[in-house]
Amino acid sequence: MIGTGLSLERRIQIGFGIAVAIIVAVGAAALRSTEATVSSAQWVAHTLQVRAELEAGFADLIEAETGVRGYVITGDTTYLAPYHSARATLNSRLAGLRALTADNPAQQRRLDSLDTLVATRLERFQWTIETRRTGGPAAAARAVSGGRGKELIRLVHDVITQMEEDEGRLLAQRSVTLQAKARLARLAAWTGALVALALAGLASVLVGREMAGRRVAEERLRLLVGSVRDYAIYMVDPAGYVKSWNAGAERIKGYAPPEILGQHFARFFTPEDVAAGRPAAVLHAAATEGRYEEENWRLRKDGSRFWADVVITAVRDERGALLGFAKVTRDLTERKRAEQALRASEERFRILAVTANDAILSADARGHITYFNPGAERIFGLTSDEVIDRPLTTLMPERFREAHRAGLARYVATGEARVIGKTVELAGRRKDGTEFPLELSLATWKHGSEVAFTAIIRDITARKEGEDQRRRYAAQLEAANKELEAFSYSVSHDLRAPLRGIDGFSQALLEDYHERLDDTGRDFLQRVRAGSQRMATLIDDLLSLSRVTRSELQLAEVNLSTLAAATAAELQKSDPTRAVMFSIAPDLVVRADPGLMRIVLQNLLGNAWKFTAKRSPAHVEFGVTANDNGRAYFVRDDGAGFDMAYAAKLFGAFQRLHAAAEFPGTGIGLATVQRIVHRHGGQVWAEAAPERGATFYFTL
Amino acid sequence: MHDRSILLVEDNPDDEVLTRRALAKNNIQNEILLARDGAEALDWLFGTGAHAGGAAMPELVLLDLKLPKVDGLEVLRRIRANPRTRLLPVVILTSSREEKDVVTGYGLGANSYIRKPVDFGQFVEAVRQLGLYWLVLNEPPPKPDAA
Repeated sequence: MIGTGLSLERRIQIGFGIAVAIIVAVGAAALRSTEATVSSAQWVAHTLQVRAELEAGFADLIEAETGVRGYVITGDTTYLAPYHSARATLNSRLAGLRALTADNPAQQRRLDSLDTLVATRLERFQWTIETRRTGGPAAAARAVSGGRGKELIRLVHDVITQMEEDEGRLLAQRSVTLQAKARLARLAAWTGALVALALAGLASVLVGREMAGRRVAEERLRLLVGSVRDYAIYMVDPAGYVKSWNAGAERIKGYAPPEILGQHFARFFTPEDVAAGRPAAVLHAAATEGRYEEENWRLRKDGSRFWADVVITAVRDERGALLGFAKVTRDLTERKRAEQALRASEERFRILAVTANDAILSADARGHITYFNPGAERIFGLTSDEVIDRPLTTLMPERFREAHRAGLARYVATGEARVIGKTVELAGRRKDGTEFPLELSLATWKHGSEVAFTAIIRDITARKEGEDQRRRYAAQLEAANKELEAFSYSVSHDLRAPLRGIDGFSQALLEDYHERLDDTGRDFLQRVRAGSQRMATLIDDLLSLSRVTRSELQLAEVNLSTLAAATAAELQKSDPTRAVMFSIAPDLVVRADPGLMRIVLQNLLGNAWKFTAKRSPAHVEFGVTANDNGRAYFVRDDGAGFDMAYAAKLFGAFQRLHAAAEFPGTGIGLATVQRIVHRHGGQVWAEAAPERGATFYFTL
Repeated sequence: MHDRSILLVEDNPDDEVLTRRALAKNNIQNEILLARDGAEALDWLFGTGAHAGGAAMPELVLLDLKLPKVDGLEVLRRIRANPRTRLLPVVILTSSREEKDVVTGYGLGANSYIRKPVDFGQFVEAVRQLGLYWLVLNEPPPKPDAA
């Protein structure tokens, strides 16, 4: 583009104006050149004519003289014919010459002289002729010889020569002028032609470039419009027939350009819109308003509908004549669906809010209530109308209001939230002024630039009562536990002291009064001691059982294999005479309370040890097996076993399947094992047969 | 005063008799200073109350835990808090085997913790061993009075 403010049209007009002016000038120059040439030719002819007339006139004069002389000599009047002819022609020749040289005063003056000289000569001829006729040849001869005839002829000749020279000079002068003019004119014509040619060339280049620029711009625009895929952009003529079609139109509406160009755009309308005359109506609206926009359903090629945003713009030329309409259509189906989904979602949440048992309410940044659901109406005893636009403090007991105002102001000012996003317990105030405990979940969101709040409030009166109840129970339980603990401590400490007395003094009796007692008395004292010691064992086992229940689980990685091996070693050390083969599976690692697992293995392996007392060698195995619930650990022996009919009694405290005399024990060991396993969330069970050994399984 | 004595802190007369008997059976001849409760034990050691005449500096304290007035653990704490008795060997001799008591006892600086067995034979054996250890084998800390 040329960087001027002039429009292409203006520039073309100026260019054409200059070219036309130059061509006119060239024409004028050429014309002038031609005129000069013609004029030059005329002047040549003129000069020749003047000369010819002069020569002819001089010849006439010479012939007249010759004739006059002949007559003078012969008297024969026939010799006078040239004289008479000359008299007739000379005057007309002179008049002709006068006309020919009318523009030349010098020649006119010479013609004056010539007129006089010719007239004089002719007078002289007349006189000579008269003399001859009257005076005869001699008189005539004297007249001729005595006359100034020769001098006159010479003067005429001189004048004619002068005139001829003058004409020749003039001709030369004029030729020079005319040739210069012709040269200038030719030069002007050539120059003009060249300039015109150059201008034409320049104009052609400029116009060509401009046209190329326009073509590029148009091509760009076409490509741009053509490649837009999110918008259907197309033209229809004033009657509604499709004239152009871009990629977006093809994508959105489904028509390829060949199948839609020339078709009427009414086919994009739904049948009901077509029936209602909408296609014509929208074009009419666009034509009258210049622009028309609507959102409505439109049809795709396959007949499916899409929600379209349509803008129709009337396209007019400079004179305002309607050329057609530009149509831009966007597929807003997704947005429409999203809006519908949003509406559905809103409806869902509205129903949720309406039917919720909890109070749901919203407030604006000033803390004024903007929404109050039926749950809230029920809980607070207030209708929505009574609270909308009223401050939230209406719903609070007096003592919370100041803190609420401060918290709200702080949040709005600084965004620092203390209760937002959390669930807090507060108190609410019903319409009748009564208070109730509530649980509040507060959320905030931006409503435009303003913050807004939504609260979900639950009346927790019943729960509070339940909690209070539970707290009372827990306190009671705590107290009971404390009491039990004190009891256990007391049992451990105080019950044993008398036993020590019984045993100690029985022993003292046996030692100090040995001689005064007979065997029966000593036996009785031994039984007293045995009884007190057995009771001490029972007390210890009971305490152990209660500790298992009371102590907190301390979970850690426990290697059961190592524990079992240590326990087996202890057992063997306790009675090195026994022959018991222990087989312990390696690396059985579990997550459990190490102290409690030790008690479990001590009891199970201790039992196995105890009930294989009559076997030699006896076999005890510790291992793991898969069962329905995962891994079950087991302790197996080949000892006394038991009848499965009594298996149910195995794990009860103080339950024994064997006589104390046969196998010692308090009957608390398996009860302890069961409690420990249960506390780990596991199960314990046994399989056995009398004299065929027993297997105890446990899971964790 | 009361050099090489043993302070027995025991409220139960039966246990007192049995302890004396066990000591005697093991030929431990040291003087036995008896305190019936924690307060009296502190009086003995610090020369206060009934024992205002002068503070005893026994060789060993046999301390029961469950005591009237001031309990055994408190007595131990006060013994360890006083610079004079700070290094005094204290053996807790009690019925309790509660882990809490054992841990607290050692935490307060008990030198040993022995649970009294019900079997008198075992008790005699225990007393024999602790007498042998603390009164014979153990090199006692230097007495502050003598130092």
